[in-house]
Amino acid sequence: MELSAQVRDAVRDLTLVLADSKRLLGMRYAGWMLGAPEIEAGIACASMAQDEWGHGRLLYALLKEFGDDPDAFEHGREPAAYRNVQALDVAPDAWAALVALNMLVDTALTVQLEALRGSSWTPLAQRVGKMLDEEQFHAAHAAAWAHWFARTGDAGMRELRGAVGRIAPVVSQWFGPDSDRARALVDEGVLDAAGSTLRERYLARIAPLLASVGADGHAPPSFDRFDEATRRVPGSAPDGETIRNVRGDRNRVFLMD
Amino acid sequence: MVFEVFARKSRGEALRHIGNLNAPDAELARVYAFNTYDEEKWFDLWVVARSQLHEVYSRSDAGEVQRGEH
Repeated sequence: MELSAQVRDAVRDLTLVLADSKRLLGMRYAGWMLGAPEIEAGIACASMAQDEWGHGRLLYALLKEFGDDPDAFEHGREPAAYRNVQALDVAPDAWAALVALNMLVDTALTVQLEALRGSSWTPLAQRVGKMLDEEQFHAAHAAAWAHWFARTGDAGMRELRGAVGRIAPVVSQWFGPDSDRARALVDEGVLDAAGSTLRERYLARIAPLLASVGADGHAPPSFDRFDEATRRVPGSAPDGETIRNVRGDRNRVFLMD
Repeated sequence: MVFEVFARKSRGEALRHIGNLNAPDAELARVYAFNTYDEEKWFDLWVVARSQLHEVYSRSDAGEVQRGEH
């Protein structure tokens, strides 16, 4: 199916939002490959980072469909140009904060990908299935840790609740408003749902986990200054050190054509 | 807790012990087993807490049967 020009722009925006979010989420998991509670947890982080980077690479490559140069996106942008979920701007400072990202951000990205499963935009539709297969174990990891925190019920659980409270509003906002732009994506069959419907799916998915740790993720979203193309509020950016690492600045000389 | 990991290559084959891992509970052990042992393509993959394995007997170096502790 041929997409209208307006929807093509929106699909390109969404692809870049997903690519940047997965790349940054991979960085956040990678930050805990060392220093996780046990070596097995470090391996889990390495494995999830690898998955997210693979998904990011695949999504950047899809930008060629719009006449873009994926290399320029991967290696040539300033932090302010990144479109990752805002909750990934800062490295999680504690294990509980990483688990909160795993619970909320990873799940939000999965809910968004699920809406693309039968997409009329076939280049993405063909690739979503494998990504979602891998995401099953990210969800299992989040659930297992939420249950562990719930069972041990110590200071860690307060930390987890605090981290959930900090990032829940921004993740809830991330699904965006029920705008004409969002509706057009559904009307042309790119997504099976958008905006508030996806937000409800996400909230239903995380509700049991939040209940198990006594956290509240139901922040009514505000779309004040929210930019639908980047799914962010302008004026914020991921930290510079992370982006220098993401771009591979120090090893630019080894970058092959 | 230590969990023992078992897998088999194809349906009908006997389960084979492939290693172990540390995890605070069985739910996390299942996730870790996937992350750690899924490099090969298994037909199925299992974990069991080492504390749930009960020795029936083992032989001494001299070949005598020694009953396991309950």
